Amino acid sequence: MIDYLMKETEDGKIVVRLNGDLDIDSTEIVEEELLPAMEKYKKANIDFENVPFVDSSGMGLLLNIVQSLKEKGINVTISNVREDVQVVFDLLQIPEILGDETFI
Amino acid sequence: MYKDGMTGIHHNNTGESADMDKTLKREINMARNIQSQLLNGKPPVFEGGEVLGSSVPARLIGGDYFDFYPLLNGKIRIVIGDVMGKGIPAAMLMILTRGAFRSAAETTSSPADTLTSMNQALYSDLRTLKSFVTLLCADWDPSTFTLTYANAGHNLPLYIKGKESIVEEMPKVKGIMVGGLPDQVYTNYTIQLHEKDAIFFYTDGIVEAQNNEKEQYKLDRLIQTLIENKQKCVGEIEQSVMESIEKFTEGAPQRDDITMVLLKISDQQAEITSLNSPLIK
Repeated sequence: MIDYLMKETEDGKIVVRLNGDLDIDSTEIVEEELLPAMEKYKKANIDFENVPFVDSSGMGLLLNIVQSLKEKGINVTISNVREDVQVVFDLLQIPEILGDETFI
Repeated sequence: MYKDGMTGIHHNNTGESADMDKTLKREINMARNIQSQLLNGKPPVFEGGEVLGSSVPARLIGGDYFDFYPLLNGKIRIVIGDVMGKGIPAAMLMILTRGAFRSAAETTSSPADTLTSMNQALYSDLRTLKSFVTLLCADWDPSTFTLTYANAGHNLPLYIKGKESIVEEMPKVKGIMVGGLPDQVYTNYTIQLHEKDAIFFYTDGIVEAQNNEKEQYKLDRLIQTLIENKQKCVGEIEQSVMESIEKFTEGAPQRDDITMVLLKISDQQAEITSLNSPLIK
């Protein structure tokens, strides 16, 4: 089960620290809570340091978050992706789909 | 009176919900049958080798997909895929994917063209539905012993060498998953196979299978199992992999659909010998 911490930085950026596996059980939390909450800011960063596993549904959720926010003109970045998870991101070529600049 | 009325309503509700449960259960079972019959068609029979596929969904039905399509030129087109998500929604998109593959296989000349055409057909639907499918498509040519493949974000198949104790990932071919980006052009890569070689196509449900300690089965265990069982026929190799995963997970609930496709080139020498053997006697 995933949970998250949100913290606003001084320059108005929202930093979301995810905690737990990003998988099919995260669907409601992401779509109903997290995404609407992030839409209130101009800039956002999602910290993946405490995400040990992302399944295909989680990958879909991530694509949905980033693409929805970008469509609304919100700048989104992703940081601290663990090596295991990065392997799956690379296999699916997530950086190419979301733009290399998304990963910091 | 009032109380009785309440009881009546309560009874009604339970009755309706039991009816709904029953209907839902029946429909899920019917959907499961549709899916398993579509998946488990007869694998094609061809000279010099054998193919086999199997899929075990994590829920009642699943989103993994494999298929074989014999081409007019004698080649066998193989596809394996993993639809994002699980259960009924994934199963619905799996059927959509199957339709796209079957019509693309008919009209395209290579695995890369098949994937390009499938992405063309499915991209806007998948974007609307916020989903995607990873696919690997390959053509086996029994006359030249070559395997040509193209990849849309899927795990690379494993190459099981018949004459050595080596199992390795096939050379990397990049490609965006179907539904990821529009207008994608995919690339073909061809490898030469030899007698007794085998190719193991699979979905990530195998390597990401978890035991109760939350450890994953991982590629190393899969490779080890394949090395130990590589001399067997495709059906037995498939069984060995399933048994090895079950032994590892120790009854922990299956998290994702598990699917594999095996292509094995027969030992032509042995076949010739066995054909000749009555004469030798």
